[in-house]
Amino acid sequence: MKEIADIPEKTMRHSSPLLRLIAMLVYAFLYIPLCIVIVFSFNDSKLNAEWVGFTLHWYQTLWHDHEMLLAVRNSLFIACCASTSATILGTMAGLAIHRYKLKVLPILAFTPLAMPEILLGVSLLLFYLQVLNLTLGLLSIILAHTTFCIGFVAIIVRARLQGMDESIFEAARDLGATPWQAFYHVTLPLIKPAIIAGALMSFTLSIDDFVITFFTKGIGEPILPIQIYTMIKVAVTPEVNAISTLLMLLTLTLIILASRFDSSMLRDPSR
Amino acid sequence: MLGLSIRNLALILVVWLSGCSGMDSMTSDKTNTRTLQLFNWNNYIAPETIQRFETTCNCQVKQDYFSDNEEMLAKLAAGATGYDLIVPTGNALHTLIRQQALLPLNKAQLPNLKNIESAYLNTRFDPDNQFSVPYAYTLTLLGYNKNKIQELGLPTDTWALIFEPEYLQKIKHRVTVLDSPRELMASALLYLGYSANDQDEAHWNQAEALIIRAKPYWAAFSNTSYIRELAIGDLWVVQGYSNDLFQAALDAHKTGRSFAIDYTIPRQGAVMSLDSMVIHRSGQHPDLAHQFINFMMDGKNSAELTNLIGSGNPNRDATAFIRPELTHYPVIFPDPSALLHLEMLTDLNHKQRRALSRIWTEIKLR
Amino acid sequence: MQLSNRLIKWLISGPPLVFLLIFFVAPSLIMIVTSFRLPGEFGGLAPLTIFSEHTSIDSGLTLETYQFFLSDWIYLEIFLKSFFIATLTTIICIAMAYPLALLIANSPRKFRNLMIMLVVLPFASNFLIRVYAWMIILGPESTLSHVINHILGVLGLEPVTLLFSPFAVLIGMVYVHLPFMILPLYTNLEKHDPILLDAAQDLGANRWQQFWCVTWPLSLPGIFSGSALVFIPVLGMFAIPDILGGTGDIMIGNLIKDQFLGTRDWPFGSTLSIMLTIAVLGATVFFTWLARSVMRSP
Repeated sequence: MKEIADIPEKTMRHSSPLLRLIAMLVYAFLYIPLCIVIVFSFNDSKLNAEWVGFTLHWYQTLWHDHEMLLAVRNSLFIACCASTSATILGTMAGLAIHRYKLKVLPILAFTPLAMPEILLGVSLLLFYLQVLNLTLGLLSIILAHTTFCIGFVAIIVRARLQGMDESIFEAARDLGATPWQAFYHVTLPLIKPAIIAGALMSFTLSIDDFVITFFTKGIGEPILPIQIYTMIKVAVTPEVNAISTLLMLLTLTLIILASRFDSSMLRDPSR
Repeated sequence: MLGLSIRNLALILVVWLSGCSGMDSMTSDKTNTRTLQLFNWNNYIAPETIQRFETTCNCQVKQDYFSDNEEMLAKLAAGATGYDLIVPTGNALHTLIRQQALLPLNKAQLPNLKNIESAYLNTRFDPDNQFSVPYAYTLTLLGYNKNKIQELGLPTDTWALIFEPEYLQKIKHRVTVLDSPRELMASALLYLGYSANDQDEAHWNQAEALIIRAKPYWAAFSNTSYIRELAIGDLWVVQGYSNDLFQAALDAHKTGRSFAIDYTIPRQGAVMSLDSMVIHRSGQHPDLAHQFINFMMDGKNSAELTNLIGSGNPNRDATAFIRPELTHYPVIFPDPSALLHLEMLTDLNHKQRRALSRIWTEIKLR
Repeated sequence: MQLSNRLIKWLISGPPLVFLLIFFVAPSLIMIVTSFRLPGEFGGLAPLTIFSEHTSIDSGLTLETYQFFLSDWIYLEIFLKSFFIATLTTIICIAMAYPLALLIANSPRKFRNLMIMLVVLPFASNFLIRVYAWMIILGPESTLSHVINHILGVLGLEPVTLLFSPFAVLIGMVYVHLPFMILPLYTNLEKHDPILLDAAQDLGANRWQQFWCVTWPLSLPGIFSGSALVFIPVLGMFAIPDILGGTGDIMIGNLIKDQFLGTRDWPFGSTLSIMLTIAVLGATVFFTWLARSVMRSP
């Protein structure tokens, strides 16, 4: 009898009402700001101060803002290219790191993730200008984004491989499969969820990145985060809220998709 | 099954990319038209003027903005290449010329050059105007909320208003100054009785001390947002550019505020910036840039820089089109006696830039 | 067979290796070289050959920029200030993340994934938007500002401005980096064996003692890895002080950005970046050491 009475108490050990209250407040802290952004995107007032009335005006403004649409297009293009190349290179890196226990490659792939972004941005800027003599533009941003996305894909792919039984691959080889066949028919299907998750992850990271884009962008081609930054710094109108809301929807979809393919990625604290 | 889904993925990607290019045709349906890349000061040309030029030459104008010469030069150095036309101030113009970054102008394509007042030609920055033609000029001034300042009984003709705690304590956190090391130091040096171009280290240190003493009373360093905040009444005193203050005064008037915005040249003097149009070597359309320069030197178009933007005008032909009440406005067209108190900034070498940057860091940190 | 295996190894590891050598290692080396050069007369860099005539060193490289960095306390002061902000952010993050991570770890298994998902979701919004949200909340006309200043007015105190202040910077930093603390903490707390707490309880420990003597020491590795994930990005941040900060909120990141996009002093910008790298490496080593020594000591 005593034992039974004890069980609920033990499972509830740390879940005291105070703890619950604090946790609720932290959730509120995480969500209220975003809700305010969304709510004010429908607000019929130029000032983001108090609720006046419902309107879709800011979405209409957005729809006619050619510069902003061009920025969306450019950012999508950059994200497509960067995530594709990062997925290919990152998958290779993940495979190589897992299989060959390399020393240098993991350092190169994972260090960019652990450094403040400004360092990568600045060093790439110097490199583009002094060595490559590259005209900054979409290409310079794609290359920069690929550099930091490789590490994320590699982490996800390697994590997937770590949970796998190596002997399957060996068995395939023993049965006479060429390395390519063994890879294509055995390894690839197994790591496919990780690859897709990595691709979606890099797409999200690329479309969101501000700091590195800020240093590697050129002129004439508006980029979404830079456009948002300029609007925030110079003239804030609820149009920023509208584009924010749409962008949230897009990245939210991608993240949910990514986590469906590989739920373990949620545990890898990314950035 | 795998092959199929990889094909699906590729298909999705293709659809995605084509979707993007579909948007391309939607957003820039005039793909054949030429685009003039303009790198101009913030709030320095009216949309009406741009539109008229676009129709005249059947082209598009794309603008990027800067709010400080140093910022403009730094961005150019840091890979912002491809601008056809830039509007630098004299000192930055001098740098660009020495850097050999500019194309010499083809005067045959600029018949309207005859309209420019000769006093503004042949400056020491560009003798013979080989690379530049004057666009407009602005002054760095004190702008203020007239009613509020009268109510508080503060003087308006001295830089002391933004530097002396005695005055500042009545307007605490209602003041902004420019986020530009050169402009702020120039005002401080002028207030201390030195030249705006003074390069004596001891004088710089004095100016720094003056700024640090006044900083706790300022709300922000602001290059653009002060226009709006002055116009809605959040700010009472600002150090700002004459054209931006003109804009603030106009906005306050238009929205029917209960106060007026005014601006004056402090008696210690002020910085005058003569901004010129130049053609950058990295631009794609030097022809179009010449057309634009000639277009802007047309009296009627140039007059809009004064009528709509509030800047001073070096164009003789523009005078006929400028609203008469503006031609007598002393901060737009300073009279000869005021001109004596105005200085143009000169450029700094890298040692001085580094020293100034150190001072600026210290100002921000304290 | 041996040969083809080696070939495959290079085929797989070669492309990413080459790419990262070009776009990560080479830029880093260029940055180091740049820090030893002199700024050009008009920005960029001074050509190397000119300086070989004036200095005894033929390479044209110079330590001048490092001397300049060390000649003045203010740069060190900015580093210290950034360290201070990063430390404060980390501590606040720990204080906020701990209860939530604990609650999630102690919840029934079926709810955990959902609760963690709810922590990750705000990540789905753009970084700038998360910062911008606080501009709205802290703005002078916002409800929060009105309420706070009304209360201060009743108490007879001066009204305060929330936006463009060190306070706003701190909130922005915490908000953007909080999930980095929650996730590793949760991963750690989730693994704790409840039997340990039962044992402590049987030995007569009250709830607070159970937490302080069992849960807390065991969670330290989680706290340290979370701290590294918060501390390091905050140290190099420039956008948040830029958007939410006031007249005095300058950090290393802002200083570096300013050297490239304000004062045309690339060598000094590179020197500052290298100092920042050293600081980051130091912080990483410190946190790793902390985590290891904690793991070993019990």
